[in-house]
Amino acid sequence: MKNRRLFLPVFLVLATAASWLIGCKKEAASEPGTGSVSFAIANMVGTKALALDGTAYATPSGETFTVQKFKYYLSNLRFIRADGSTYAAPGEYHLVDAATASSTSFTVSDVPTGNYTGVSFVVGVDSTTTKADPLALTGDLNPANAMYWAWASGHIFLKLEGTTTTGGAASPIVCHVGGYRAPYSAIVTASPALNGTLLVRAGQEPKIQLSADVLKMFDGATPGSHIALSAFPEIMMPGPRAVQIAQNYAAGMFSVKSLQNN
Amino acid sequence: MRGSTQLWQRLHQLRAHWRPVALLALAGAVLASAGCGRNVEVALAVPGTMQPSNFPAMVYGLDKNPPDAATFALGRRLFYDPQLSADGTVSCGSCHRATEAFAHAGHRLSPGVAGRLAPRNAPALQNLRWRRGFMADGGVLGLELQALAPLTSPAEMNMPLADALARLNADADYRRQFAAIYGPGPIDTPQFLRALAQFVASLTSANSRYDKHVRHEAGGELSPQEVSGLLTFKAKCGSCHATDLFTDERFHNNGLDRAFPVDSGRAHITSRPADRGLFKVPSLRNVVRTAPYMHDGRFATLAQVLAHYDHGVQPSPTLDPALRLPGGRPGIALSATEQTNLLAFLTTLTDNDFLTDSRLAAPR
Repeated sequence: MKNRRLFLPVFLVLATAASWLIGCKKEAASEPGTGSVSFAIANMVGTKALALDGTAYATPSGETFTVQKFKYYLSNLRFIRADGSTYAAPGEYHLVDAATASSTSFTVSDVPTGNYTGVSFVVGVDSTTTKADPLALTGDLNPANAMYWAWASGHIFLKLEGTTTTGGAASPIVCHVGGYRAPYSAIVTASPALNGTLLVRAGQEPKIQLSADVLKMFDGATPGSHIALSAFPEIMMPGPRAVQIAQNYAAGMFSVKSLQNN
Repeated sequence: MRGSTQLWQRLHQLRAHWRPVALLALAGAVLASAGCGRNVEVALAVPGTMQPSNFPAMVYGLDKNPPDAATFALGRRLFYDPQLSADGTVSCGSCHRATEAFAHAGHRLSPGVAGRLAPRNAPALQNLRWRRGFMADGGVLGLELQALAPLTSPAEMNMPLADALARLNADADYRRQFAAIYGPGPIDTPQFLRALAQFVASLTSANSRYDKHVRHEAGGELSPQEVSGLLTFKAKCGSCHATDLFTDERFHNNGLDRAFPVDSGRAHITSRPADRGLFKVPSLRNVVRTAPYMHDGRFATLAQVLAHYDHGVQPSPTLDPALRLPGGRPGIALSATEQTNLLAFLTTLTDNDFLTDSRLAAPR
């Protein structure tokens, strides 16, 4: 979703008029000196594709579980050049829902042409946006998407729901990660290695295939980051465990499976 | 700002029973264009849009969601519509009753859908234009967002926002009413929340005997006992129940308990240990009509509330400094006479104009 409602139509009109005046044959879809980058996300549990049909999965520590819902926001995309300078794409807020195929891919347009050695994105929503007037909360940010805490105004950044079947009896997993207030801000940034150089060129659309591994929510990069599934029914508000899960998924959930320049 | 041209257009969209109101609004617009100010126009059409001279400035100003009769009527309809609850049995008005300052008198906790009990006492709804945060823990940041909490809470109306919008969009009459205000297209989140906000923003209580007293208006006479109560109030209660809104809009631990395992108040939102047991100071307007008291409705009478402050305050690490007496005893020392006078004073905060305003009651 792109929150630049006015800009785009105005730009298209101007660009069409300009190309008609100067007889330019190039497509008017993007600004001169810019290209597009498309993202596609495959939701995984370890090496298996995530299914929401009751398929049982196991964590490395041997707990078993199923998943009914897996949804999260990706926002504030940045493209990083070799010299460390970045391009921050404005207005990018994407709700990825494992139940909706169309939500698992999106295209970022108007990226300045150039060579990029890295990307980063917030898993969640920045605090300015999540505190915004409800009139601004359209499209993927709309509170009607059930990714919003009514009792503590702000978005749920990531939602995992299912059951854990460890030890026989099934019990619910309800994990809603959110919160933007210090010291328990769960706003985290992921910057998976590109393993290559992203070449943004006018009229081209390179593709980045990402993998999002549910298992990485339970274990992060540091000792002590492990969260047992048995803790999950209680994670529905900001706090230290929500922050730990957010740090876990920022550190390892996303990886680049392929980078296709064309 | 709505000009008189738009007002003419609006006139054509109004149903017959709103025409008298619209004509009043039109008369107001004529007055306004004659230089009397636009507040005259708005005041005739929608209740609660004037700035009382003894109140601080509005937080949710008229420019945020300019009041008009059609949107107010729609908000009022939504407020009283039980179809906005999952099983069609509970409306906002079920637990927020006009004659009780939009509190739920006699209910410690109010039943939501399927008889489930809401976790906290239903607060009075009044003077919401002057509020910064909402809920006893301040978790909700703005007036337009506030309705989402009871709407979606499983113990209250248990209605996901998307389901509420679907139900409204399936109703041809609602579609017409929304389209007349917001234009064609499906009813969406901002339309729904802003229409509802127009109604709750109109709930202004500023005409109690106390108000008339401080504004030196007719009908503002206080008895000597009430004046004594007012003086005690200013000296001993006014630091938290501040301004003529009777709240400092902040969070305090008023010593209800030594620990807060069930409801940690402000800490529920901030997770900060220093916020455990802190709750938003409620206004005391119409307080005689809004029993029971406290966030959990534990006190049935105002006499019990005063007894709590005099000798019931429990110590805890976050107890408010204003409730720490010299010598270490927590509380606010109130003699029997002071308590009697305070109770007399609190009756002067009852605003019968507000409690009996038929424009705020359930439609029809």
